[in-house]
Amino acid sequence: MNATQSLSMAVDLLTDRDYTMERIYAKTYPMVRHYVREHGGSEEDAKDVFHEAMIIYYEKTVQQQLVLTSSVSTYLMGICKNRWHQELEKRSRNAELVDNPVDPIWEESGMEEQPALNLMTFVDQLGETCKSILISFYYFGQRLEQIAQQHGYQTVRSATVQKFKCLERLRKAVSHLSIDHFKP
Amino acid sequence: MRPELEEVQLLESYLRGTLSEEQRIEVNVRLLWNPDWQQKLAAQKLAYQALRLAGRQQLRRELDAIYLRLFG
Repeated sequence: MNATQSLSMAVDLLTDRDYTMERIYAKTYPMVRHYVREHGGSEEDAKDVFHEAMIIYYEKTVQQQLVLTSSVSTYLMGICKNRWHQELEKRSRNAELVDNPVDPIWEESGMEEQPALNLMTFVDQLGETCKSILISFYYFGQRLEQIAQQHGYQTVRSATVQKFKCLERLRKAVSHLSIDHFKP
Repeated sequence: MRPELEEVQLLESYLRGTLSEEQRIEVNVRLLWNPDWQQKLAAQKLAYQALRLAGRQQLRRELDAIYLRLFG
């Protein structure tokens, strides 16, 4: 695959995500699985590493930060190799520490993850329509034309207004958090 | 659009850096003097952060579903 094909792949990814991701998945995952298994990992490890790489690839594509000179598969494979080596290093470091007595005060409280979970709850509480419009536009980078069509809006204009209504609702919902987070 | 929504749109353009120089200065001045606006801007940033997290979660689910379809 050349650079032009990678570019059209990027367009397909945004307009027909599920189908395009499945094509990339079918082509690339077997290579990733082979590599991870050869280097001491399991099927589950391979899947985790590959999903993280796909998320990076998707987000960079949406933000137009990606200029691929090779194929998407080669790019993804590169990320997976790096990540898997980092993971192996992490595991070997942890293995060295296992024999040390563990003081209960060092146990993870899970507090770090709390804010992320809380934030996502506010998105869920918006209801399906708002949630879908906002995530499609802001995360998945879909065009408003497509969003309008999918949600039965007559015009792009009315979908735009709806999008800002939903965003305002979300902003209101999280505003009490931002008082604590960002005291002026 | 009603004024509140215009304001959401304005702050979005401000964060994206797509305002004209004149508009940008105007928003900066308002932010400087108006704590209510600072608060709204902070909340809006938090809203985008929430959408990013929720989007990632959805993408993970979609990838899991593809895995099951193809290799499960």
